[in-house]
Amino acid sequence: MSQILIQGLLLSGLYALIAIGFTLIFSVGRVLNLAYGAYLMLGGYAYFWVVQTMHMPKLLGILVAIGVGVLAGLLKHRLIVKPLKSDPVAVEIATLILAVVIQAGVVLVFNDSAKIMHPIVNGVWRVGGATVTYNILTATIASWVILIGLYYFVRKTHVGRAISAVSMDVKGAAISGINPDRINMITWGLSGALGAIAGVFFASYTQLSPSMWVAPLIIAVAVVIVGGIGSIIGTLIVAHIIGFMEIISTTLVAAELRGVFTMLLIIVVLVMMPKGLFGRGEL
Amino acid sequence: MALLEIDNLSAFYGRAQSLHNVSFNVGKGEIVAVIGTNGAGKSTLMDSIMGMVKNTGAIRLEGQDLIGFDSSEIVKRGVGYAPERAHLFPFMTVEDNLLVGGYTARDDIGRNLAHVHELFPVLKQRATQETATQSGGERQMVSVGRALMTSPRLLLVDEPTIGLSPKVCSEIAATLKRLNEEDGLTILITEQNINFAMSLATRVHVLETGHLRISGTPQELAADDALNKAYFGG
Repeated sequence: MSQILIQGLLLSGLYALIAIGFTLIFSVGRVLNLAYGAYLMLGGYAYFWVVQTMHMPKLLGILVAIGVGVLAGLLKHRLIVKPLKSDPVAVEIATLILAVVIQAGVVLVFNDSAKIMHPIVNGVWRVGGATVTYNILTATIASWVILIGLYYFVRKTHVGRAISAVSMDVKGAAISGINPDRINMITWGLSGALGAIAGVFFASYTQLSPSMWVAPLIIAVAVVIVGGIGSIIGTLIVAHIIGFMEIISTTLVAAELRGVFTMLLIIVVLVMMPKGLFGRGEL
Repeated sequence: MALLEIDNLSAFYGRAQSLHNVSFNVGKGEIVAVIGTNGAGKSTLMDSIMGMVKNTGAIRLEGQDLIGFDSSEIVKRGVGYAPERAHLFPFMTVEDNLLVGGYTARDDIGRNLAHVHELFPVLKQRATQETATQSGGERQMVSVGRALMTSPRLLLVDEPTIGLSPKVCSEIAATLKRLNEEDGLTILITEQNINFAMSLATRVHVLETGHLRISGTPQELAADDALNKAYFGG
């Protein structure tokens, strides 16, 4: 029981971090960035290259991963989203194709075999019969710190409030002196950074492989669909629902069912509550 | 020199033309009203000044052309806008809506916020309420307040009385008058509510299907038989 509780909390924190960058883009631009999982992959591989291939410090690996994520986000906005004028269907098709292209690029550079990433933090903590690696504990704490930081950024800074304003009313934002296009660009860069750092932790929790973009994308889509248009608090709550559902199903039912209940939940919510549990335009 | 000069302004939505060679000026410290029925082009006129519509002709603020600039730049140059239907941020608090208005005029935020609270004390009491749950009158106050947070030299107010009770309308009118008389703020209003417009403005223009038909002082227009017939049925 304590194993389920602890593992559930840890996994959910990571899921919230995975979903938040995706939610951000959906709230502000009203598009599903289906290449979002590729940010995680790029972040994971960038960290792997810096730390395990080039033998450089881990902190540098994380910074390079964030840099790659920001660059990927900004390029995607400039080369795809802006020319397509944020047309949701066109952006979704283009980003899905882009994810497959990035996958091919990763295979070309790193080959198609899965790679094990060394833990970012070594060691194990035994608590109440459960075993927790410092690695996943660090990932969860980092997730919470980033999410709380993001919450205050959105609530308390001019740029954060502007992101929130654009997500609720583009015209209202524009006549307040905000340039919605610039805010969109900043959001894509921020989403890239969040995705990339989530990718480093996700890869250290699972493994690196050229198809690793799919699972986090499903988690992110589930959080947006189940939670409704994304709020940071809503993202946290739904990430916990999905995280616990996954731990309970894999521990008590069958490990092979990992991810299946998440996908079923997407369908059930789409049919029963099309606006999601917290269907409102808040950020 | 007039604060705002509108010269031969036409506006287009795709192939449809919704303003036809409209010209008028707004002098510094004036309240000017543009009246017209639904679909006359009042909101298009306001959106044109804010750089949100495709235009030909000229819109000048203190002699500098505004056409070609985006809204954020026009706000920075001193135009504040309270649009029709307010366009507030529904799931943000009243206070945060006002603070978003201070995005470009960050150095003035403290002073502007205090002034908005003085003009609309209810907004201070409702600071933590989300605007989605407010009444129409309060939402209109937030809208005008948000526009004032941009430190405007020219305030555009598009149909401020739409859907509001007479009591709230007169409160809004009193506030606009106070802004004009005490702060010297130049105001351009569009209205369907002719009495409201006539009671506030020093000059009134009548817009009909995108054409400016008649212009004059409220007294001149009140004496115009054709206008009386068209708008008052008299």
